[in-house]
Parts: sequence; C-alpha cells; structure tokens
Amino acid sequence: MTKQFNRIKGKDGEEMAAKWLKDRGYKIIDKNNSTKFGELDIIASKNDILIFVEVKFKQTENFGTPEEMIGKNKLMQVRRTAELYLLNNPDIAKFYDRYQIDAVCIVEDTGRISHYENLTF
Amino acid sequence: MSRPCNQKLFVAYFCLVLTKILSASHFGLEPNLIEVEVNVFKKGFPGFSIIGLPNKSIEEAKERVKTALLNSNINFPNQKIVVNLAPADIPKEGSLYDLPIAIGILASMELIKLPTEKSFFYGELSLDGGLRHTKGVFLLGLAAKQKGIKNIFVPSDSANEAAVLSSIDVYPVFSLKELIAHLNGVKKIEKLSYSAKGFAGPHSEDLNVEFDFSEIIGQESAKRAMTIAAAGGHNIFLIGTPGAGKTMLARATAGILPPLNEEEALEVTKIYSVSGLIPAGEGLIRSRPFRTAHHTTSLIGLIGGGTNPHPGEISLAHNGVLFLDEFPEFSRGTLEALRQPLEDRKVSITRIAGSAEFPASFMLIAAANPCPCGYLGDPKRECKCTPRMVMNYQSRLSGPLMDRIDLHLNVPAVDVNKLMTNNSSLVTRNSKTIREQVIKARNIQNKRFKGLSVFVNANMKNKHIKEFVEITPESLLLLKQAVNTYNLSARTYFRLIKVGQTIADLADSTSILPNHVAEALQYRVRTND
Repeated sequence: MTKQFNRIKGKDGEEMAAKWLKDRGYKIIDKNNSTKFGELDIIASKNDILIFVEVKFKQTENFGTPEEMIGKNKLMQVRRTAELYLLNNPDIAKFYDRYQIDAVCIVEDTGRISHYENLTF
Repeated sequence: MSRPCNQKLFVAYFCLVLTKILSASHFGLEPNLIEVEVNVFKKGFPGFSIIGLPNKSIEEAKERVKTALLNSNINFPNQKIVVNLAPADIPKEGSLYDLPIAIGILASMELIKLPTEKSFFYGELSLDGGLRHTKGVFLLGLAAKQKGIKNIFVPSDSANEAAVLSSIDVYPVFSLKELIAHLNGVKKIEKLSYSAKGFAGPHSEDLNVEFDFSEIIGQESAKRAMTIAAAGGHNIFLIGTPGAGKTMLARATAGILPPLNEEEALEVTKIYSVSGLIPAGEGLIRSRPFRTAHHTTSLIGLIGGGTNPHPGEISLAHNGVLFLDEFPEFSRGTLEALRQPLEDRKVSITRIAGSAEFPASFMLIAAANPCPCGYLGDPKRECKCTPRMVMNYQSRLSGPLMDRIDLHLNVPAVDVNKLMTNNSSLVTRNSKTIREQVIKARNIQNKRFKGLSVFVNANMKNKHIKEFVEITPESLLLLKQAVNTYNLSARTYFRLIKVGQTIADLADSTSILPNHVAEALQYRVRTND
C-alpha cells in the first residue's frame, strides 16, 4: 500500500471511466494531461461542450465515499488547471464555446460508477 | 442521443423531493415561526448544505443528523441535500433544528409519513439518535398556541415545560427511532396531557434555604422589615457593620417568600425556558426565584443583552428577589442601569437585530457597609475612615437610585453576650410562621389586583393607589406633616403609601392607620445620618 500502488489503482480507474464515457457517446480528447498546477484526468466532449472529468476511484466505501473526496478546493484546482489547458491548447479551445467540469466516481468492490455533470462550488 | 435525452436529463436534474417542516425560534421572548425546507435531490453531486443564515451550532447539525440517522439504522442518502431555514434573512442559532432537519430528510426519502395536521418539530439530536434536553420548549408551546398548531414533537426531557400549556398536544420524543415508529403508525407515542401543576422537583415547591429566621439572634426590627419587604415586594437596603448579619438576613428571606401564583409562574417559566435554566424533566417553576449577583457582574450580565438579546439577572429574578451584596462595590454604570428597570419593572434591550423586552419586576435586596472600614456609627469600635473617604464611599450610591428603594434599614451589630445565651425567648419566630404571614398578606393583594397583572403593593401605579388605597384622614395628616418636615420627594410620598398599605395588609386592616404610616416613615431614606 504505497503511493505507487494508489497511482496504479488510479490509472485503472481512469481507464474504466474513459471506457464508460466512450460507451455513452462521449468523445475522449485527452487523458492524464498534467501541468504544474495539477492533472486533468479525462478531457472529453459531447454536444459541443468541452468537459473536464475528474475521476475518483475507491476500492471500498469503508473509508468514505469517493464523492466526499471532491470538495471545493479540488474543484478549484481542476478549474485552474482547465483554464491553463485552454490557454496552452488554443487549437482545441477554438472549437468549443462551453466548458464544464464533471466527476466520475468509481467504487471497485460494489462496481458502482456514478457520473455527476456540471459541478459548481 | 441529442435533444430529447438532454431534455430528460434537465427534468430529472430538477426532480425535487421537497419537504417543509415547521419549527420555531425566538427573539428575546417573542417566538418566530421557522420553516425548515429540506430537499433531497434525485440527481446532482452528493453533499449536505444548510442555508438561511445558520451559525456554527447549526452548521454542526450536519454531523449530528448524519450520525444520528446512521445510528438509528437508516442509511444516510448519498445524494445532494439542501436545507433552507426560512425566513432566510433572520440569523438562526441553537441546536433546535436537528430534529426538523432529520425529519425533513426522512420524509424526503419517503421513509416516514408526516402527520396531516400542522406540527412543530423541535430538539437537539444526540449522536446515538436520542433527543437531548433543549432550551426554549415552553416558548415553542406558546408559539404553537398562538398560531393554532396542535401537535408539538419535543425531547422527552423538555416536554413537561410545554405540558403546562392547555390546548396543545405535546408528544415527548425519546429517540428518533421511536418517532419514526410513531409517524409510520407502528407504535404510537403517548401524548402528555395538560397539567397545570407542572412536575414536582426542586423547582416546584421544596424550598432549599440556607438559613432559617430562627437562627438569626436578635435583629427583631430587621426581621420585621424583611417581612414587610417580602409581603409587599418592596426593595430594601440593609446597611450595617461587617458581621452584623446583613447577608444572613437577606439569604434567609428566600425562605419566607410566598409561592408563585399561576400567572407569575408562567412568566417566570418563560424566562427560564429561554435561558435554558429549567433542568431536564422539570415543568412549571413554582418557587420564587432568588438570584444573587457578585459585584463584578457585568452590566450585560445584570441587565441582559447580547447580539441576540438574552435576559440578565434582573429578568431571571422576575417576580422574585435579586440580592446584591456589597452594593457600593458594583461599578457605577451597572448600578445606574438598574434605575430604569426598578421603576418600569421591565427592561427593553435594543440591538441591531431588533429590540427585545424582558420583564424585570424584582424585589431588590441590597446590602452595604456604612463606610470603607465598615464601622461608622458602631457604638463599640471606632471608625478609621476620614470624612472624605466616607463621603466618597456613600456617593457611589446616587440619590435617584436610593430614592427607588422603599425600605432603608440599619442593621446594628449584635451583642456577643446575646449570641451565646441559649435563651429560648430570643428565638421568637421561625421562617415558617413568617412565611404564613407573608402568604396571607399576598393573598389580600392578589385579590385586590385581580386581572391587573400587578401582583404586589410595590408595583402599584399612582392610579392604582387612587383606586385601591384607603387611608384614614389622621394618617394622611401625619404623612403630609412628614413630607413637609423632611422635604420628601413625590416619589417617596407614594412609596410611603405603598409601604403603609403593605403594613396594613400584614395587620389585616382594610385602611392605613396612623401607626402604619409611622412605621413606614421609619424606613424612609436617611440622607444626613
């Protein structure tokens, strides 16, 4: 149970989330785009909206739900990172007028995958 | 996959399960109706937020409600929950919203059926799902009565407070589980029936008094003055050397106070309920309050105040006694603040949030030494103070304040030889017999002032004096002579009549006789002693 292990598990979660979104008609544009402010787990699009998806993966709910791990600060961080991403990638940004932040929460042992759209804080 | 789906999503997102629960808060002694709106969203990011100007104790309700529900074997919904406390512009405080929030969540989850009649829910939750004693239940009962709400659900420890009010149904709730069973019709909670007598307990009738009057040797004139003060609710000022027995006399007075009548008891219970001073399980307060305040008590502590005004000691002593020992040691501002409540028998406190009025009809017992060293006027010991020191000391008590005190009394030191003799003739009357006398005099007064919300002679307005007081021509002549000789103020004149009336009541006389006036005159303010 090390940081390394968590990172591998997190990657698994991101793969699952990407597949899940793809199956539901989302176009995956980028994954694990990291800047010095933080990482954008998945960047997807659907209905002309560019969506920044934060993925939370938990093995069990014994230590709290994945939803509890996404608070105001986390959303702020995602937002800042997203803004930086839009600046750095003008060729992607120019196709979209609207952006939103989504979250996908995955619990491994129950197999629950929940998708929350357009988070605000 | 495009438009219709989006619309459906949109509708689903705003699909609400909204529940409104009624509760009440209070500002000062006035109840406020509060609607607790709980919405558990079908869709949306899970979270729990409370809006409507909650303070910290309500913010913390989130954790209490969550844990209490879990411990009542209910899964807390992993959904978005918004609680609104309406009206949204009034700041809310206190732990009383725990129960309405929990019930709102349960109703939104469709785990319970809300009663069809309008009901109040009120109370603090414990982490184990039980309900804790919460202050202000009596006021909730009053609010229910005012707004015509039949049912109130309150913590079982506090239910007796509301049970003293007629025409409402009080459901004592022991735990959340029990309430769920009740609302679902599984097992009904027995409602408390109206009991005017309240509940027995330390606050009901049993007098817990330090001293009996029979323990105080000598001081017969002081005892007589205390009897008059207690009978008519007059303010009294005891002045005497250290160790003369001033404090003992004052504390013994707690034992001769008559019980509260029905109307008075309701007033006192209201104030005590708001202050959270009614112990768990108690109902109506039956014994007269006897409050003491140390001379370092702050002005706010004595008069009342705060952002959300709370009653001070003078209101907690309403219909009872406020004993201020070492009277001149109180700060000047504190003492002068007593002037207006002493006259108006109420105090109104205005803050940004609004103005609250608290009743403050108390009988003041003040005790003081005559000078800094304490021995001014003592026959045996010499006073070591310079005249300037004495003047400084005595000038701390302003004329207007002294003028509001009906009875002024010198308490001389008792002869030590008298203390040791076991002469039974010295032990004249005990507190019990004096109390009976006082009760008799109070009954006469209660009959006299029926329906006027004046309970004692000391609270008579001038119009009441004209209406009720019978004074013989000889007495009036004596009184007029005294006023002219001693240059007494108009207020003192009326106060003398009030004291005379109490003495007449104690003597069971229908009119004030000259000897009653003569006795009253003994207790007037002495300025140039």
